[in-house]
Amino acid sequence: MKIHKPATLQEAAGLLAADDSAQCIAGGATLVAMMNSGVVEPSALISLANISGLNEVTKASDGSVIIGAATKHKTVAAFDSFSGAQNIVGIAAGKIAHPPIRNMGTIGGSVAVGDPAADYPTALLAAEATFEIVGPAGSRSIPADEFFDGFLSTALAEAELVQSIQLPAGPENAVAVYDKIAKIDGDIAIMSVAVVMASSGDRCDYLRVAVGGCGPTPYRVAEAEVKFINGDLDVAIELLVAASDPMSDVRGSADYRRKVLPRVLRRALITAQQMGGGE
Amino acid sequence: MTEVLDTIGQRVTRLEGKDKASGRAQYTDDMTLPGMLYGAITGSPHAHARILSYDISAALEVPGVKAIITGDDYDWFRSGGHVKDETLLAKGKVRYIGEPVAAVAARTQKAAEEAARLIQVEYEELEAVLSIDDAMNPDLPIIHEEFSTYQMKVTDLEVSGNECWATSAEEGDIDAAWAECDAVVEETFETQAQHHLYLEPASALVDVDANGKVTIWGPNQGVHFIQTRVADYLGLPLTKVRAISPTVGGGFGGRAGPHVQPITAALALKTGKPVKITLSRAMDFETCRSRHPSRVRMKIGAKKDGTFVAQEAELLFDGGSFMDETPAVASFGLMMARGPYRIPNFRGSARAFYTNKLRAGSFRGFGNPQTTIARECLIDRLAQALDLSPMAVRQKNAMVAGDKWLGGQEVPACGFAQCLEEVKKAADLDKAQLPPPAPGKKRGFGFSGFAHISSFLASGASVQLREDGTITMNTGGIEIGQGASTILAQICAEALKLPIEDINITEPDTDTTPYNYKSVGSRTTYTTGRAVKAAAEDVADQIIEHAAAMLDCDPAQLTLISGGQVGVKADVTDSPLVNRTITFKEASLRAHYGVGGPIIGTHTFVFDGPPFDREGSKMKAVVFGNMGAYIYGVQGAAVDVDEVTGQVEVVKAWAAADVGRAINPTNIEGQIQGGFAQGMGYALFEEMVWDNGRLVNPTLMEYKVPGVKEVPKVQTIIVEDPEPGGPFGAKGVGEPAMVGVAPAIANAIDDAIGDRPNSLPMTPEKVLDVLDPS
Repeated sequence: MKIHKPATLQEAAGLLAADDSAQCIAGGATLVAMMNSGVVEPSALISLANISGLNEVTKASDGSVIIGAATKHKTVAAFDSFSGAQNIVGIAAGKIAHPPIRNMGTIGGSVAVGDPAADYPTALLAAEATFEIVGPAGSRSIPADEFFDGFLSTALAEAELVQSIQLPAGPENAVAVYDKIAKIDGDIAIMSVAVVMASSGDRCDYLRVAVGGCGPTPYRVAEAEVKFINGDLDVAIELLVAASDPMSDVRGSADYRRKVLPRVLRRALITAQQMGGGE
Repeated sequence: MTEVLDTIGQRVTRLEGKDKASGRAQYTDDMTLPGMLYGAITGSPHAHARILSYDISAALEVPGVKAIITGDDYDWFRSGGHVKDETLLAKGKVRYIGEPVAAVAARTQKAAEEAARLIQVEYEELEAVLSIDDAMNPDLPIIHEEFSTYQMKVTDLEVSGNECWATSAEEGDIDAAWAECDAVVEETFETQAQHHLYLEPASALVDVDANGKVTIWGPNQGVHFIQTRVADYLGLPLTKVRAISPTVGGGFGGRAGPHVQPITAALALKTGKPVKITLSRAMDFETCRSRHPSRVRMKIGAKKDGTFVAQEAELLFDGGSFMDETPAVASFGLMMARGPYRIPNFRGSARAFYTNKLRAGSFRGFGNPQTTIARECLIDRLAQALDLSPMAVRQKNAMVAGDKWLGGQEVPACGFAQCLEEVKKAADLDKAQLPPPAPGKKRGFGFSGFAHISSFLASGASVQLREDGTITMNTGGIEIGQGASTILAQICAEALKLPIEDINITEPDTDTTPYNYKSVGSRTTYTTGRAVKAAAEDVADQIIEHAAAMLDCDPAQLTLISGGQVGVKADVTDSPLVNRTITFKEASLRAHYGVGGPIIGTHTFVFDGPPFDREGSKMKAVVFGNMGAYIYGVQGAAVDVDEVTGQVEVVKAWAAADVGRAINPTNIEGQIQGGFAQGMGYALFEEMVWDNGRLVNPTLMEYKVPGVKEVPKVQTIIVEDPEPGGPFGAKGVGEPAMVGVAPAIANAIDDAIGDRPNSLPMTPEKVLDVLDPS
């Protein structure tokens, strides 16, 4: 198998465009498992290892954080300059699988799979992240809720790659709760809930809730967030549950996901309140 | 007071541990032979179908392919444990998805796999029988139409349709007994298929010589068993089959029968070249063995004071596509149903069924976990009905030495009551000391009592004294990670009062090794160990005879002295020989070069415990004539149940095991802790799931076992009530270590939230349905 080592993302996108069965490899945490099980049989691998600046987390002067696509989970989990709302991403990174996988897997590889039960997508949605994408036609940015557009599907077009993910500063005083339900520690989530909540005084005035593993993509329901801010916890939960469309798999049945979702939402929201997100 | 010994009771470091920990150990897939070919298997895509034809032409075109075999290439040599119902490759019919229908040998793994994919088989699909209920449905097809023609050892079997085994036993007057009970409880429990998850997937390397003798390496739990089964499959005499045990990457019963050895041997014979087959994890899952899924209905009645009066047990086992160990699992499950309790009136039956799934077979516990979960959960229910403590009810009914096991055998030793007492003490202490559960979680405590066996069938051992006074010990005890080599070496060293370094252990090899049934049934320590001890004592007697001749005295005056010497006994004080010694080396040199010949001690026996009283206990189609050296245990668990999600966290566990005599406490603790982890997987996480006959979770991405974050601290308690007949009083511990875990956890869940699921695994979903039935 041919292995390419481009020096720039544009070059990588060109290689992808030239060979539609080639695959990009960074950490290989997902790709190699898929190759081993015969799900994908790439004609060539395009290594992203030689592209500079792709594996850094940087804090910009406006308080936003930019995470390079090839940044390993362990680096994101250990990054200590997240503020407020951004913390949800660091917390979720620390809950991905086990240390050996966190030492290899990268954020770009994780999000590009588009698995609704994976940890990053749910957290990135709650953090209102923006995806910087490079392709043969140039660059573009897409908000998280457009990036995840279907089950195991993303808005990435042919030969496009994720360059980086930008986390806006968000409310400085926000608290973050990531409630992941998994069969055993380190397993892919049965379902998960990411909450970012902020308050002025003891009143919640900012909420983002994302639900993972309960539909083809992680999702938010803006109306539910408004209802919660207006003090209606029960209706907020109802709206979020109504938007779910879970399926059954070996980790849990659709019935269980439907049943546990309102319970976990309630726990996560109340936990966030207690942490100072606002009453 | 137990006698103070040199090596028995010592925490001897595992003899094979360094090789395994350093990566030096050679497993079968690490081995290659000159000119070796690689094999691959074509599996059935259907759960139940007739084979109409094969087309191997495209596969033969693949460069490097040396041979292809299908069911058409073989006469009808059937093999199997109790009933001969399996063929080397599917013949005429396929009975589960993945069943080998053809196999290829090629120069490379890639070529073999490509050819295996290109083999075309034409099928006529049949309706599949996928559960116990399906198997009892007379409208569904029969899986083994020729069942009545199969060879079997038992004559009192009465079954029809897809039912493949039916066994029963009865004692006392059960119908009259229910009237004497103040409380009666009855429930039905369901248990799932569990995979052994040995680290090393199935693998075999087979060489063949010019005379057609095959030599087989592969993970196994008994070289003699592999030898006979491969000979059976291929129609060979035992002179033409040699089985050798390399390092084995785990067993748990999963290697109690053959896996890919027979097919690999067939390819080696066909090509005349060495062939190796190693299965992928997924193929191992799909084609080897599982624990028997079961449905167990049980009923227990007691008097007001908690005294057990009557018990009824109806066990149904899903045996899968082939019989394998099902008759023994059904028989054993039945004989364990009453457990280590006094219950004067008993009626039990165990029925097993063919289904179109992977064969169920031997697995740590062997039918016992399925009955233990029912009995031990019902004991808690009975205690609740009578407003008694479950532990007190167990203590009140615990059997003691001199009581009779189901089947009428008197048990000569029984540390069960002590196990109960010790676990109770430890748990009571912890109840006060454990940090309280986190908010939103409820804490519960649960316990279980259980027993198992550690002897049946035959074992032999040979112990040879070498010229330098050291020992070479040869047994068929297979080191499957359970510590057999170390334990057997400790027994040998003790019997000869030698340091363990002076014992060399040979690799089990049917060409040279004395017969050993298998390393299964928790039998190695007691059964193979007993053969080792007697063989070593035979050597000791011969050494003493040489020494007596050399010292010109009566052998009765002499004894072994630690470190490989013979001297006069302590009570001989007035002899001129008092300070004289003869070393093993001196005696051995005399034997080798002077008088008598090299010293070899041997011993073989077949378990000689009392037979079952088949008439008195109305036993029908029970495949065991006898078994014994019963072992006892008690387990307890503290769990926190998450009221939001139904997830169960085990926060602490206690496990007591009556091992007769602890030969190596560290090894016993390891067995108990490992058994707890495997039992916890069975209780909470593990389940092989089939969808329409297809196994949907055949990889470690989907099949989850508890890891380091899930398994709690397991406090181990070793109870020693010496077993007469056991080597230095010892008996086994391997299987009971997992048998009581699921009921202890189930009872703890019940204690925490007032009820528990009646089926395993107790997933968050099932527990949440108990918490919130809406």
